[in-house]
Amino acid sequence: MDLSAITAGLGGMSAPKKNPATEAVAGFADMLRQAEMQGTAAMTGGADPHALVTAMAEGKLAVDTVVAVRDRVVEAYQEIMRMQV
Amino acid sequence: MAEFSDSLSILSSGMRSQGQRLRHIAENIANEDTPGYRRKTIEFRAHVEDGRRTGAIETGPVRLERGELPKIHDPAHPMADAEGYHEGSNVELLTEMADAREAQRSYEANLKMFEQVRRMSSQLLDILKR
Repeated sequence: MDLSAITAGLGGMSAPKKNPATEAVAGFADMLRQAEMQGTAAMTGGADPHALVTAMAEGKLAVDTVVAVRDRVVEAYQEIMRMQV
Repeated sequence: MAEFSDSLSILSSGMRSQGQRLRHIAENIANEDTPGYRRKTIEFRAHVEDGRRTGAIETGPVRLERGELPKIHDPAHPMADAEGYHEGSNVELLTEMADAREAQRSYEANLKMFEQVRRMSSQLLDILKR
């Protein structure tokens, strides 16, 4: 299991070669930005409430996914650290 | 997860279209007594992007309903002609109410599906949490 690749993807975008985790994180950041923009537009008026609800639901889905994956990764890391050498 | 987010955006396009339909129904009902007003309807059609159907729905142009406008006898009306008749509107409240109820039901169906998609995606993620 290549833990460092995943943590590098979660940590930053400076991975030298194309990393699927990096791309996933970039897509996640994009989705969050979209949700944020819709939220701002709704607060300042003139936004479609349906678009807001969709963006928020998609944003929540994305955050839940990332949190679940992160928890799994951290758990695996701790499991390895606890190993008797 | 692309399926889930696609479903969400398709469903929200459905809700947006029904909202638009309701907006024109409201206009029709408000103008029921406006002389010479013709009932407005909008058509629904498939949303096409780059020559391909996305599965979403969008509303087409507004159409005015053709047909005879009813003649109303009211000699005191400022728009009455020599015989004392003026044109009314061809809005029928019963039709509009039925249309509004249909829009509401369709909206509800979209909303229920929205909930369903959300529940399914969170159930899928619950597997990871265990």
